Amino acid sequence: MTTTDTNNRARNRALLDFVVLPFLFLTVALLGGLRIGAESRTFIFITPPLATLLFAVLLMLLLVRSGLLRFQQWIGSDLPPLTNVAHIWLFVTIFFASAQAFNSVLPERGLLHWLFSFCFLWTLWNNQFSSFDSRRLLRSLAILFGTAFVIKHMLLASLYSPEGGLLKRVAGTLLQGVALDTPIFAPATGYIAFFTLALYITGLILLAFCTDERGSKPQMNTDLIGVHLRL
Amino acid sequence: MQSKLIQIAGLVLSIAFAAFIIWIYATEPRTFKEVTTSAEVAAGTYEINQENFNSALSLFRREQFRAARDEWQRADPAQRDARTQFYIAYSFYREGWGRVYFDQELFKQGVEAVNRAIALSPASPLTIEDPDLHMHTAAELKAELEQGLERSWSDVNPLKVLRTRK
Repeated sequence: MTTTDTNNRARNRALLDFVVLPFLFLTVALLGGLRIGAESRTFIFITPPLATLLFAVLLMLLLVRSGLLRFQQWIGSDLPPLTNVAHIWLFVTIFFASAQAFNSVLPERGLLHWLFSFCFLWTLWNNQFSSFDSRRLLRSLAILFGTAFVIKHMLLASLYSPEGGLLKRVAGTLLQGVALDTPIFAPATGYIAFFTLALYITGLILLAFCTDERGSKPQMNTDLIGVHLRL
Repeated sequence: MQSKLIQIAGLVLSIAFAAFIIWIYATEPRTFKEVTTSAEVAAGTYEINQENFNSALSLFRREQFRAARDEWQRADPAQRDARTQFYIAYSFYREGWGRVYFDQELFKQGVEAVNRAIALSPASPLTIEDPDLHMHTAAELKAELEQGLERSWSDVNPLKVLRTRK
């Protein structure tokens, strides 16, 4: 490998770590709470509920456990102060992006808000005790957010749309007398949430590549050692 | 060296972006137009639309208070101009004033508008030099509106039909 290659690699890594990833996660933080009013077609900004901050903390723990975030390698007394500050800032952006990613798929209020919150909490809490590597965690998160997105922005949105069809009639019959109290938003909200989640997952995938490139031990070996130790 | 520059530039730009996000969530603009208006307010370059203001003033003088308020709201969408807010409060007062009773809802909205006007001019008492008005300060207007909201035995005094609107 020539010096030019090494320089290019270092520059690209710096661009990814300190420019692309923070901006990507901050964009998720911006769009995660954005909804479009159904009638007024105006912006509605919803600040992340307290529950989403709790989910974000649990998710950060998972990201650390899976090796996607490596505190010991990224923050240390042997690293330059500026690098430490930049990495801490990256962690902060990931934290708020995680909270807002949950915010984008969490119903805003009512019974469904609590049901979704319970499901998220249950999943994240159970995952704390499972063995994870970064790829498995990414798959698991993609499925978690994907399922929540489909339920909130496709099933529930069609349920509450004024021109709802068969699904609305079936659900109306099944849930007769149950007040779900879910606010109605314009269809554009679903597109924004999709874009937000796609950005978030892309950011985590880039983070995984970025982590792999840092010359850490191969994940498979770590897993094997972990399994051996547990045995 | 270049990596360090990228680090510094990335940090500065992303912190600025984060500040923008916090500002957006704090101000909660509803349209792109409101985003630009709020940005003008934050940058200190916000100015009311004088044409709308003058048009509202002429409507106010012809006693078309609702239309006047609409125009004033268009003139000052961010509600950042003390003078406009004072006139909006005055229009609530004049529309809500009656010989027999005062419209409580309009007076309440008047108090809100005059409070905004007072809050927007904290350094000096807000005074409007307009010969068409009988009250020239925000404090006078506020007192009059608040008196109108109070209930007392003097409300049943038949002589109160002789009072005049300010």
